[in-house]
Amino acid sequence: MLKVWQGFALSWAWLLILTLVSVAIGLYYQSTAFNRFAFISIVMLIIAMKGQQIIDIFMELKHAPRLWRSVMLAYVIIIPLIITFIYL
Amino acid sequence: MKTENILQAESVTQLLENKADKRLPGDLAMWFFILAELTVFAVFFIGFAVAENANMAMFAEGKAQLHKVAGLINTIALITSSYFVALSLHSMRKNNAKQTLRHLGLALVFAGVYVVLKLWEYQALFALGIHIETNTFFTLYFLITAFHFLHIILGMLILAYMAINVYKDNYNDPTTENEFSGFESGACYWHMVDLLWIILFPLIYII
Repeated sequence: MLKVWQGFALSWAWLLILTLVSVAIGLYYQSTAFNRFAFISIVMLIIAMKGQQIIDIFMELKHAPRLWRSVMLAYVIIIPLIITFIYL
Repeated sequence: MKTENILQAESVTQLLENKADKRLPGDLAMWFFILAELTVFAVFFIGFAVAENANMAMFAEGKAQLHKVAGLINTIALITSSYFVALSLHSMRKNNAKQTLRHLGLALVFAGVYVVLKLWEYQALFALGIHIETNTFFTLYFLITAFHFLHIILGMLILAYMAINVYKDNYNDPTTENEFSGFESGACYWHMVDLLWIILFPLIYII
């Protein structure tokens, strides 16, 4: 069974991987200039995934009242969505 | 979830699945403050995207002059700092003051890496003759990152204050409803600063 500190370590590793993936996608986009909308959508999706980890695991909102968790998760979903649509 | 339940929890699953007694970590006032901060930054993020959409060439040129590796290292530093703050709260709940102080110290060290690197980045741009009035991109770049930088400084002061309180054993007051509430509030503030950078870094440096 996963200990609490191991859970935090896994989250840290996941955040690190997602950061490196978004940088790698950025570099790939610079060299190939593939579809800009697809590129921005992927980067924004990664932002949402990273935000969810911070909110649920580091901030411990996974076991907080639903309203507060929903408000915080909505932030990391809605803001990237708005940004994506601005770049459309 | 009450403090004693958290103390008894041995695993993440146990901690996360104890749904019967949901509790917001920290003070309610801190959460309203966090929401206010997030709203202000949301305006900045959306404003930046709108301005970029209207000046694509200028923003592409501006972004090319930023040090992406410094941005990446800063992201890793903040994620790692947040990780140590999360660990410090766990140590705090186990009443392990020594370990809490060690984790808070490491969190401050990684926050320090961010501060040094960000100042170096500013200095490198100034050396190139770039400043806040150079163009719209750099106005927004300096405005948003400097505003976030001030939050980092405030967050570091809060972490240092938490460490002093741990050292003085001020959090061990079992007569209060939740003796770790102040500690949790400080930790959540720090995670918010990290959360903002998670959006800021890709928006300004990557896309």
